[in-house]
Amino acid sequence: MRCVIPSVSEGPGARVGLRGMYLARRPHRSLATLGMTLGLLLFTFCSAEEKKPLTVGSKNFTESVILGELVAQKLESAGCRVDRRLNMGGTFVCDSAVRSGAIDAYVEYSGTALTAILKQPKADVAREYEKRGLRWSPPLGFNNTFAMIVRRSDAERLALRTISDLKKVESTFRPGFGYEFTERPDGWPGLQRAYGLAFASQPRTMDLGLTYKALASNEVDLIAGNSTDGLIDSLGLIILADDRRFFPPYDAAVVQRADLDARCGGASKALESLRDTIDDATMRRLNYAVDGQKRDVAAVVREFLAAKR
Amino acid sequence: MNDLLRLTGEHVLIVAIAVSVAIIAGVPLGTFAHRRKRAGGIALRITDVVQTIPSLAMFGFLIPLPFIGGIGARPAIVALVLYSLLPIVRSTLVGLERVDPYVREAAVAMGMTDRQLLWSVELPLATPAIVAGIRIAAVTAIGVATIAAAVGGGGLGTLIFRGVAMVDTRLILSGALPAALLAIGADLVLTRVERAFARRRGEA
Repeated sequence: MRCVIPSVSEGPGARVGLRGMYLARRPHRSLATLGMTLGLLLFTFCSAEEKKPLTVGSKNFTESVILGELVAQKLESAGCRVDRRLNMGGTFVCDSAVRSGAIDAYVEYSGTALTAILKQPKADVAREYEKRGLRWSPPLGFNNTFAMIVRRSDAERLALRTISDLKKVESTFRPGFGYEFTERPDGWPGLQRAYGLAFASQPRTMDLGLTYKALASNEVDLIAGNSTDGLIDSLGLIILADDRRFFPPYDAAVVQRADLDARCGGASKALESLRDTIDDATMRRLNYAVDGQKRDVAAVVREFLAAKR
Repeated sequence: MNDLLRLTGEHVLIVAIAVSVAIIAGVPLGTFAHRRKRAGGIALRITDVVQTIPSLAMFGFLIPLPFIGGIGARPAIVALVLYSLLPIVRSTLVGLERVDPYVREAAVAMGMTDRQLLWSVELPLATPAIVAGIRIAAVTAIGVATIAAAVGGGGLGTLIFRGVAMVDTRLILSGALPAALLAIGADLVLTRVERAFARRRGEA
């Protein structure tokens, strides 16, 4: 059922405008207040009666936004109404949003979930989420691990091919990372320990999205990106091989609230059908379509789903 | 605790430099806008537009630029100066425009030159408005300066960004609360200054 919500501007007191409301004599002001209160009450009743749309969130980088859009379109094709809250923030924001019910689903990575959210690196992701009243979908098919990235010119000049090779440049290279990588135990501190590295300069911490720009304009020499980032090839950058296998797998999957199906029948089935549909190369291609070719996320996802069918 | 003090110091320094530069550039710009209506109008429009640029987009533009750009405190200060210009320029203009035309006429009739008119009549009378603009710019800048951390510029934003990345509300608050206190403190102090100027004008 839909109800018509009278807008505040129709109330008798509102005609004087915002400024007038404060200046007006008492009767006017109380009328305006009454109108607003009634409007708010009506609004609350209406939204309680109507079924709320499913809300899909995403983190604040291209791949996460693409995957959020993918989840949203998939839910829509199952007949659900969807509200998009893409590009919200980092892991923290998405996790607290899905736990509080502000969003109903977003795409997370197994490695991140275990180390940064659940804080138990050895546990079973699906079971841990179940304990928290959430669901962890089957994996989407690609592994987006951290990637230590340098400029191709440096890599060739200094013969850098693996992360171990960074030992040669630890006194001169200036690293620059996002806050997450600088702080996380499976990030810079752990990596330096695992490889026995001791960089002379502290990493410059900045917004994750700016690190590529900083590397490309010679402001820093080493950044931590994601192995599926579309810009790596187009900016002429090189990923150093993780020769000691420090980074755990980061398999992407959908974190969703348990009541998804009750809110919209067939929702979780639609999401399960995404199992193993995207491999590393496909994800890199989708990322490049948005980051490199500056194409519209919704269009890229639509095309991808149409090709799958 | 040591960390907090250092970051607060950085924060205050970034804001102080940025607002000082904005005053040095903004007050003359506002005066110019008052004298030359058309060119001034354009300048004002530009500060308006600058205000609407999202901070991360601004840093994106600044990183590749030599001298004013790059990584660290410098691009953060540049961005803050640009954001602080609008309130200062506009309040200077408003202050000058509010000078009573009869007072101006009287000054001209007394034989004041253009320059004397500006320095000994118009600017002193506009001072409370200008200080009000500076207050708004400073209080806003204290909040906005938290984004300096997005380009490795330090300041209290570092704690906020770190906390957001690490799922740590306490860490976020340890950056956000001192920033809020700084803003409130600056507001109180500058309101006093503003009142003092207004009172002096009242007696004159």
